Amino acid sequence: MDDEKDKALIVFDYIYHAMRAKHVLEEAGFDVREVAPPVDYRTGCDLALEVDTDEVDAAEDLLIEKDVLILDILFMPKSEKLTPIYLTKLIKVSDYGDFVMVRCGNMKVTFEKATGKIVNLSGGGCPDIPYLGMNLYGTILGEGPRPREIGKTICAYTCEHAYEKALEIFNGLKGKKGGK
Amino acid sequence: MLVLVGTIPIDGMPLVYGQCEYNGDTLKIGDTLLEGKYVTLGTAAMICAACQTSKAVNAPMPYACVVGDTGMGEGNRKLFNYLIEHVTEIKPTVMTLHYILPTRDLFAKLLDEVDKIDPRPFMIADAGALLNAKALGVSKRFDLFTPDPGELSFLADKEAAHPAYVQHFIFDVDQTEVPKLSKQAYDDGNSPKYMIVKAPVDHVIVDGKVVAVINDPNVPSLEPIGGTGDTITGESSALIAAGFEPEDALEKASKINRVAGEMANPIPSTTISQFIPHIFEAAKKVIG
Repeated sequence: MDDEKDKALIVFDYIYHAMRAKHVLEEAGFDVREVAPPVDYRTGCDLALEVDTDEVDAAEDLLIEKDVLILDILFMPKSEKLTPIYLTKLIKVSDYGDFVMVRCGNMKVTFEKATGKIVNLSGGGCPDIPYLGMNLYGTILGEGPRPREIGKTICAYTCEHAYEKALEIFNGLKGKKGGK
Repeated sequence: MLVLVGTIPIDGMPLVYGQCEYNGDTLKIGDTLLEGKYVTLGTAAMICAACQTSKAVNAPMPYACVVGDTGMGEGNRKLFNYLIEHVTEIKPTVMTLHYILPTRDLFAKLLDEVDKIDPRPFMIADAGALLNAKALGVSKRFDLFTPDPGELSFLADKEAAHPAYVQHFIFDVDQTEVPKLSKQAYDDGNSPKYMIVKAPVDHVIVDGKVVAVINDPNVPSLEPIGGTGDTITGESSALIAAGFEPEDALEKASKINRVAGEMANPIPSTTISQFIPHIFEAAKKVIG
């Protein structure tokens, strides 16, 4: 059986727009897959979004409406192998007693269990990472700015996944506390 | 002369090149004074560590070339254009590239200019510069990388253009993975002669082989503290610029960071600004 569809790939100039695009499309119910762009479009810090070909026009219209800048849309045969992003496999949680450190790939977010306060953020290599650290330090998970809102690189996007996991753990801890 | 290069997360901060001076609460680069939280963020943390280490070994204070950039790349472009124009006049003996935005043409042009300097500077890359060098296939034009285990996984995966795309990712250092991945990265041309893999157990690598393992003193709470990898890069840079052999410098830098960590007695919420002031005493203790 060969029911795999051809692929439409949305590529961006800046990862900032890719991050926004994923959020906008998922909120609207599109099935979106994160992949590395083809080699000719690659700078080393980038992310493309794969959608079904029959949904790509609607996705493009929505992104234009939301002011998300698209560099190009590429149509690829179903046989084309694109490297998926492995971020969900790259998460590791370390317990430090009163604190939890969540690692996703090369990014780490550490928070205080009792309050959800972010006490440290590290990793990455692009200029927006120290900027993220400065803006997220001391904020409460779920209440302050998120990496995807401030960050502009794939390291920031990786940090967003660590943040999401940290938030999930903190919400779980709050739930346990409330249930006692 | 040691020249440290990178971005500072201040929108619109003009480019500055000059000698550095760290005074605990402030970091002066040329005529620019950084204060408060900006003293120890990203590239600034590396610079402070290099200042502290240089002072401990009675070496001249390092120079730095920095610019404001929060990720959009405007400052990054100015930084590269300035260095492309001036690096042959500056003639660094050691140059460390740190928090930068990956760029193709400007990065390659800078390396071409560096090649014109005789003797060629000892070139170090960490953070964005390390990612960029590997993604562009120019790792062998550097002498030292200072990766963490995640970045080492990236160097060892010849297909990956960024750590987010690595297929075999390691979080922790162990005696099997580090030698294997270091050799793989070196054999594929994706790592330079020297590396220090920064982790709870540090590994010094020469020509793809582990030559030293440093795990004492062991300070587990250092790992969550953002910037403790940046400080090892600063300490290594300073020691190499001061004339220490690279292999010896890397072992000593690892020790300095660990001893400073012990002195800071950290918990996971300790900040890098509370850690850096201990580097001078730690360097004195390690170097003797």
